[in-house]
Amino acid sequence: MKFKNLSEYINIEEFRKCTALFTTFFKASAFTFGGGLAIIKVIEQDIVEKHKFMSSNEFMEYATLSQTMPGVIAVNCATLVGRHGAGFPGMLAAGIGAILPALVLMIIATILAGKIPQQGPLMGAMRGIRAASAALVASAAFSLGQYNIKTTFSIIMMIAAFLFVAMGDMGVPLIIVISGVVGCVYQSVRRYRERRNSNGD
Amino acid sequence: MVIRCFRLFYTFVKFGFLSFGGGYVMLPMIISEAQSFSVSAAQIADLYALDMLVPGPISINAATYVGYLYQGIPGAVAATLGVSLPSFIMAVVLMHIFAHYKDNNWLTDIMSGIKPATVGLIAASAITIASEVLTKPGQNIGDVFVNPIGTLSLTCVIIFVLTAIVNIRFKINPILLTVLAGVVGAFVLA
Repeated sequence: MKFKNLSEYINIEEFRKCTALFTTFFKASAFTFGGGLAIIKVIEQDIVEKHKFMSSNEFMEYATLSQTMPGVIAVNCATLVGRHGAGFPGMLAAGIGAILPALVLMIIATILAGKIPQQGPLMGAMRGIRAASAALVASAAFSLGQYNIKTTFSIIMMIAAFLFVAMGDMGVPLIIVISGVVGCVYQSVRRYRERRNSNGD
Repeated sequence: MVIRCFRLFYTFVKFGFLSFGGGYVMLPMIISEAQSFSVSAAQIADLYALDMLVPGPISINAATYVGYLYQGIPGAVAATLGVSLPSFIMAVVLMHIFAHYKDNNWLTDIMSGIKPATVGLIAASAITIASEVLTKPGQNIGDVFVNPIGTLSLTCVIIFVLTAIVNIRFKINPILLTVLAGVVGAFVLA
């Protein structure tokens, strides 16, 4: 029996596009520390200049959208750009490319970290590192607060979220949903009152 | 095993849909579900240190880590696919909605509530982690008010305070600070 030509099953042009998307996001994810925003500059060069999937403006539009949408920013960017570049297969290729390096490297790191003997100097080192980690989480809260806590409303939201989670009355997912709703309601009310006040004058 | 992996997957799909504006809120969400996946606060401190060394988004690293600790490699894959799934759904279904309402204010409105709440949630996470990793081995943080000197490890507390101050005030590279803390720990805490 005779095999059909491979190109009857696979569109070569589409396959080439998907490979380019996969490698772009694979590379970006494998070599960018800290994820999120840092990754976007790296991707822009490949997508816009090297492979010419879209214009720089279109790319920046997707990059902005990937930060406002819920989900992992880097994967959002991959799925949006991938879909624009090569449809549904492109979305899968780019998305998997973005996920795979982090998944594999983190599994390896977790296995290696588990092999560290929990005694002697290494145990001491681990305890020191954990204390530093806790401090870095605290300072992350501090620097996020510097940017986001500016109004009375935001102070109330911060304290309320802290109290609810500290009391253990509410799960974190529920707190996030509620604070989103509260934010929505508060801003609508604020705009409504501003409009009424300016009409009244 | 299959059921546990499915629970990981489902939980991280939920986390993915709720992580607005990046991975910041991932840590509080994981802590809130830590008991159901038998992850301790000390392990979450390790996650934070490992995330600095491993490239990639923190949400993916966190999902892989928790999944692996709970159910090995299948768990890691299940949790990571879960946290990524929203991005795929968004790109297919919701992208048009988001693109259409982009200039409308409701996304900014939602964020105006979530962002300050996130600060409070992360502060609570820092306290949860600190209360476990700053104690002497075998001591319970519940005794801290009865017997503070016997409960807390003085070296750990000093490392904690110094790292926080140096990182906030002088913006010194966190990886360097973590390595330094490890070296100090190896000599003093062994």
